[in-house]
Amino acid sequence: MTNLFVKITGYVGDFFLDFEHKFNTNGITVLYGSNGSGKSTIISVLSGFINHLETKIVLNDKSIENTKKFPPHKRPFGTMFQNPILFEHMSVSQNLDYPIKRNKFLDQTLLSKEELINYLELGSLLNRYPKNLSGGEKLRVALARTILRQSDYLLLDEPMSDLDIKTKAKLLNFLKMINKQFKIPILYVSHSIEEISQIADEIILMKNGKKIISGSVSKILNSSSFQRLIGKFELSSVLEGTLIKTDKLMNMTALDVNGQILIVPGTPGLMDKIVRVRIRSRDIIVSPVKINTHITENELEGIVTKIYTEKNTAFSELVIKLMKSKIKKTPQILRARITTYNLNKIKIAENKKVFIYISSVSIDRQAYQY
Amino acid sequence: MDTFNFSSSDFNAVLITLKLALTTCFFLALIGTPLAYFLAFKSIRAKPFLESIVTLPLVLPPTVIGFYLIVFFSPDTALGKFFIILTGEQLIFSFYGLVLASIIYSLPFWVQPLQSSLEKIGNDTLATSESLGASKFDTFINVIVPLSKKGFLTSFIISFAHTMGEFGIVLMVGGGIHGKTKVIAISIYDHVEQLSFGKAHFLAGGMLILSFIILLTLFYSNKRSTVRIK
Repeated sequence: MTNLFVKITGYVGDFFLDFEHKFNTNGITVLYGSNGSGKSTIISVLSGFINHLETKIVLNDKSIENTKKFPPHKRPFGTMFQNPILFEHMSVSQNLDYPIKRNKFLDQTLLSKEELINYLELGSLLNRYPKNLSGGEKLRVALARTILRQSDYLLLDEPMSDLDIKTKAKLLNFLKMINKQFKIPILYVSHSIEEISQIADEIILMKNGKKIISGSVSKILNSSSFQRLIGKFELSSVLEGTLIKTDKLMNMTALDVNGQILIVPGTPGLMDKIVRVRIRSRDIIVSPVKINTHITENELEGIVTKIYTEKNTAFSELVIKLMKSKIKKTPQILRARITTYNLNKIKIAENKKVFIYISSVSIDRQAYQY
Repeated sequence: MDTFNFSSSDFNAVLITLKLALTTCFFLALIGTPLAYFLAFKSIRAKPFLESIVTLPLVLPPTVIGFYLIVFFSPDTALGKFFIILTGEQLIFSFYGLVLASIIYSLPFWVQPLQSSLEKIGNDTLATSESLGASKFDTFINVIVPLSKKGFLTSFIISFAHTMGEFGIVLMVGGGIHGKTKVIAISIYDHVEQLSFGKAHFLAGGMLILSFIILLTLFYSNKRSTVRIK
C-alpha cells in the first residue's frame, strides 16, 4: 500500500493555497475543482517545479524535501502535464526510450515498452515523428512515456480535456487497468464530471486553493458541496450497478442497482462489471403513485428523505433513497429536481414512498466507457 | 597603377581577421549561450535590465564603445594592470584586447538569435524532460541543443560575420598594428587612403563574396525554420 501525505501552504502570486491530504489508496484519486482552484499548482509542487511554498511531502514514510536540492528528475513522481509535449527531434520510439535510458534502477517486472506499445496501440507510430501525429496519438505516446519512467506515483494533469469520447473512454479504461493490475497509484486532475464518475476511487474537491471535502465517489458526487460547486443545471446523482444483461439487437444494457433494474443505452462492458451512470436531477420524473402505462424504460422505487424548496425560484429538490436493497449495501441516493408547483400538486412529502421514472435517453452516454 | 595583387601584409590581415572571428565566437559560445538560456527560460525582475545591457552594443555608435573600451583597457585600470601582470603586455593595442572588444560588441549577435530560438522551445519542454528523469544539463545537451540547432547556427554565422566586418572599434582599440591587430577592414581603409584601389578591390571583393555566401547559407538553411534574426 502506497501512502502519501501532502501539505502545502503559501502564496502563488496573489493566490493562497492551503492544502493538506493523506492519500491512503492504491487506486485513482481525482483532484476536482474549477480553473484556478489550485489543482495544477499541487501537481507542480509535487513534481518539483514550485519550491517556494511551505511544503511537507511524505511518500511511504520517506520525506521529500521541497527544495532545489530535490530536483524534478530525482523525485518519485511521474508527471504528465496539460497539453503533453513530445520531443520533436525524436521519433516516437526514441521518445519512449527517453525515460528508460535515464533510469538506473530499471525494474523488468513492471510494464515494459513492448507491453505499452501493445496496450496503447502505438506499433504503427514508432518510426513517426511528433509533428505527424494527431492530438490523441501524441497523448497516448506521452502517457506511455510517463509510465515508462517507472515512478512510484503517477500525476496526470487534465490529460484528456481535448479528446473525443471514444478515445477518452478507451484511455480511462487503460488507466484503470494499469492502476489495478500494476498497482501504480494515480493522482488525476480533472474538471470533467464524466471522467471522475468513471475512474475515481477517491475524490478531493478543491475550491479557491482549499480542500473542501474528500472521500469516495458516491459520497462526494452526492454531497451538497459538490452540487453547489457544479451549479444547479448540472445537478446530478451517480448510480452504481452490476451489468446483468445486454440486448445486442436493441443495443441496450440492464444494470442491477441494489436489486432494481436500470436500463441504459449502449453496451458499456461485460457481465458482472460495475458500471457507473450519471443522471441529471432535472431528467427525473417523480410520482407518488405507480403509473400503469409504460412511459419510460425505467421505473424505480424509493423513499423521499429530504425536500429542499429553494426560495425565490420555482424549484424544489428531492433527495430519494432507493429501495429494494436485497444485498447488504448502503442505499443509493438519487436527487430529483422538480417545480415546487408540481410538488404541491402531487403531494409528495418526506418519508413517503415514490416511483421514479427515468428515460434511458437521458442517461449520460459519456459517463461510461465502450 | 597598382595591380590586383595579394601582399603578405594582406595575407596577415586575413589570417588575423579569421583568427579573431573564430576566437571571439568560441568565447561567445561560452558566455553568450548561458546568457541566452538564462534570458529565455528564467523569469526574473532584472530581465529587461539585462536585455538592455546585452543589446546596447547594437545601438551605440562604434566610437562610443571604442572610447569606453580604451578607457577600461588602459594600463591604469585594474583590468589593464591585471593583464600586464598576466602577460607582460598591454591589453590595449593587443590581439587579446581585440578579442575582448569583439566579444562585447558581438554579444547581442550571439544572444538574440539564440534567445529567440530557445524561447520557442518553451519551459514546458524543459519541465517534461526533467520530469522524465533528465537533469538540467542532460536536458540542455539532449533536448535544447538539438531543438535549437538552427538558433546556434544563426548565432555563429551572424557573430562571425559581424566580428569580421567591424571597423571603428577595432581601429580604436587595436590601433591597426601590422601583423598584430590589423584586420581586413583596416587594410582596406589603408589601401583606399593610399589610393591603391586594386588592392582594396581584392580585399573588399573577397569580403563581399564571403559575406554574401555566409548569408545565403544562413537564409537557405533557415528557409523552413522559424528562427529569424531580430
